[in-house]
Amino acid sequence: MTLATLPSPRDEAWRWADLDSLRTAAQTPQQSTGIDPASLFLDLPGPRLTFIDGAFEPAHSRPGAVQLTRLDMNASHPLGALAQGEGWVLKLDARTATDPVQIVHLATGGENHLPARIDLAEDGVATVIESYAGRGWSNRLLHASLGKGARLMRAVRLLQDQGFVSIRDEASIGEAASYVATFLGAGQSGSRIDGFLRCDGVGAFAEMGGALLTRGEQRQECAVAVHHAAPEGTSRQVWRAVAADASTVSLAARAEVARHAQKTDGEQSLRGLLLKRTSTVNLKPELEIFADDVKCAHGATVGELDRRALFYMQSRGIPEAQAKALLTHAFVADALDRIGDEAVGEAFKADADRWLEAAL
Amino acid sequence: MATKNAEALAAANKKYEWGFSSDIEQEFAPKGLSEDTVRFISAKKNEPEWMLDWRLKAYRHWLTMTPPDWAKLNVPPIDYQDAYYYAEPKAKPKLDSLDQVDPEILRVYEKLGIPIEEQKVLAGVEGSRKVAVDAVFDSVSVATTFRAELEAAGVIFRSISEAIREYPDLVKKWLGKVVPMHDNYFAALNCAVFSDGTFVYIPEGVRCPMELSTYFRINAENTGQFERTLIVADKGSYVSYLEGCTAPMRDENQLHAAVVELVALDDAEIKYSTVQNWYPGDENGKGGIYNFVTKRALCQGKNSKVSWTQVETGSAITWKYPSCVLAGENSVGEFYSVAVTNNRQQADTGTKMIHLGKNSRSTIVSKGISAGRSDNTYRGLVRVGPTAENVRNFTQCDSLLLGDQCGAHTVPYIEVRNPSAQIEHEATTSKISEDQLFYAMQRGLDQEAAVALIVNGFAKEVLQQLPMEFAVEAQKLLGISLEGSVG
Repeated sequence: MTLATLPSPRDEAWRWADLDSLRTAAQTPQQSTGIDPASLFLDLPGPRLTFIDGAFEPAHSRPGAVQLTRLDMNASHPLGALAQGEGWVLKLDARTATDPVQIVHLATGGENHLPARIDLAEDGVATVIESYAGRGWSNRLLHASLGKGARLMRAVRLLQDQGFVSIRDEASIGEAASYVATFLGAGQSGSRIDGFLRCDGVGAFAEMGGALLTRGEQRQECAVAVHHAAPEGTSRQVWRAVAADASTVSLAARAEVARHAQKTDGEQSLRGLLLKRTSTVNLKPELEIFADDVKCAHGATVGELDRRALFYMQSRGIPEAQAKALLTHAFVADALDRIGDEAVGEAFKADADRWLEAAL
Repeated sequence: MATKNAEALAAANKKYEWGFSSDIEQEFAPKGLSEDTVRFISAKKNEPEWMLDWRLKAYRHWLTMTPPDWAKLNVPPIDYQDAYYYAEPKAKPKLDSLDQVDPEILRVYEKLGIPIEEQKVLAGVEGSRKVAVDAVFDSVSVATTFRAELEAAGVIFRSISEAIREYPDLVKKWLGKVVPMHDNYFAALNCAVFSDGTFVYIPEGVRCPMELSTYFRINAENTGQFERTLIVADKGSYVSYLEGCTAPMRDENQLHAAVVELVALDDAEIKYSTVQNWYPGDENGKGGIYNFVTKRALCQGKNSKVSWTQVETGSAITWKYPSCVLAGENSVGEFYSVAVTNNRQQADTGTKMIHLGKNSRSTIVSKGISAGRSDNTYRGLVRVGPTAENVRNFTQCDSLLLGDQCGAHTVPYIEVRNPSAQIEHEATTSKISEDQLFYAMQRGLDQEAAVALIVNGFAKEVLQQLPMEFAVEAQKLLGISLEGSVG
């Protein structure tokens, strides 16, 4: 697979994808961004890794439990398959718990690819926070494997000023294990978040969600699926889209329930907010169900801010702009509230608020 | 309700009750598809030159296309050269009413279970509610009733080939305007080889004095049925159109690729109801109809309204998305659907609501019921264009699973380009609860009757939208289609 043979929008799963801006981003010349990687780390203890254009940068890193090694991963995803070679690996079990792992991806132009693997053995617990900044095309592939009772909390924020970020998550979630991934797209680059989470163990929990905020002519999208392959699994997909100016957000989330995955509890909530009459939100909450004793529901709404709520707030003396900001903040917070670590959640909300200030 | 279901289930014991086939001499076009076939059909129908050119253009375009593969369907490759594209009963003298129709054909209608109201009308009962039937027996319209009364009201209700000859300007103006010939693979095929169908024109300000009804029936072995329906409702008019379908039992798969086009001008309303009960194949998936249909309505005028109601119980494979292009200000689109699949049936069906006009509104209620080893997919699109202010859409799609070998899938697409839109989508998937079953059975129903009762309740919102006589037939069908799916 090369840039020339990427899927086309005629392919159903890539219907809303903006691969033209991915190609453009891949061709931007490299140029200093003036961003200090240190400024992108949150004030938390624990391992820190910096990758500049996909290459490990020891000067701004303290890898701790994270290993750097060559990864040749088996991936059939058109973008994910491009991420091979040097990458990072986090292997933990119940005895080797670690503080949150922070990873900063700084790109200066062109294209860069980075594979990663997270293996959590029985009862292993990890928190991984990733931040993307800079320009060009950053492409990532993550393979995660969660053993019985393991817990992974993953929070990703896309803050690139321009270019494109593509992320592919593939996870196998074991018995009673929990995988929670939250994404915030609050930069100005295009993006595509791809995910395929398999609930392989009985009672597994999978959650993938987040908020994608776009303005200008930006386009961001997610195309994620949770596959329930074992009984009594639970999945949550909560996504929020805010589109300003002439931008587009597309959210495609699918829940698949295999024949024997009885007692599955799946829930999808996709909501879009349009700030301008030129903006676009596309939603596709999809269910594919082969088991008969399941609870699966999805809800999808698109619209503008509730006029009555706005009026009410104005009648209480809150200026219109502030009222709008408050309501939009609450709208986005629905998705970001899923971040378990308070400090991380606050940081993400602050990023979203900065975006709102600039866009509203 | 209980009695009705018991009746339905008793009827179900006869397996596919309507799997008979009658002997009426056919005249076939040579087997296979080529420009010559297209010319043959056009010549058979005494069509004007422009119509032949249109067909040929469609045929040549079809050659460049590939069948759609995005639906959640497993369609075996179709050999388009291994079918007859034209079959008609031997020419009969022109008839004024159904009474004069060949008794064999009348017997066929009887077996089809033409609604009781129509039977009364046929028997000449005074004061009975009137329904006009335009019967499409295989590919040629054999009789049209109530023509005189409809003509007095100014309503044109013709087979499409008659309309091409008698009202060329009207047909030329609208044919292919809602579903263009290059729209999709099956629509292009239909444009090239459509054999017959129905044309309805309701003039300005006229409320059609009766419900219009067409019975489609595929009769000859190995003949595809390519119906073409065009309904134009002029300003301020109203029409309710019923389409009911059954087909005889055959072992080989038969292809049905119909195109239905509806046009509603200012303040006009069209209500289009379908009960589709074609042969679904046997328990092992052998035989059955392929139902690849393009149905689309253009709500062109202000305040226009189109309402699609469908009960889909038959066909081995269904690929069907009755849609509304809501171009007019304040236009309204509605889609009410019950799709039942059992055994090895596959259905990928839903709707498209394209909002282009200000204040346009749409409602989608879809009920999917899967049993046996079948797959049932709802696929729907709601699109709001940038200039469509204050659009409202409400979508509800519920799935019911009977048994653990079937699948229920929901694929809604929502594309919004105007912030004033309010789009809501809800979906649930469930099975019949033990409590419900227990309650119904402790009141004396056996398990199948209880399931039929619950299923009818699940589909009630949609069945209510059907004209009365259709609703009765549809209820029966639900019970029959689910026969043997529980216990």
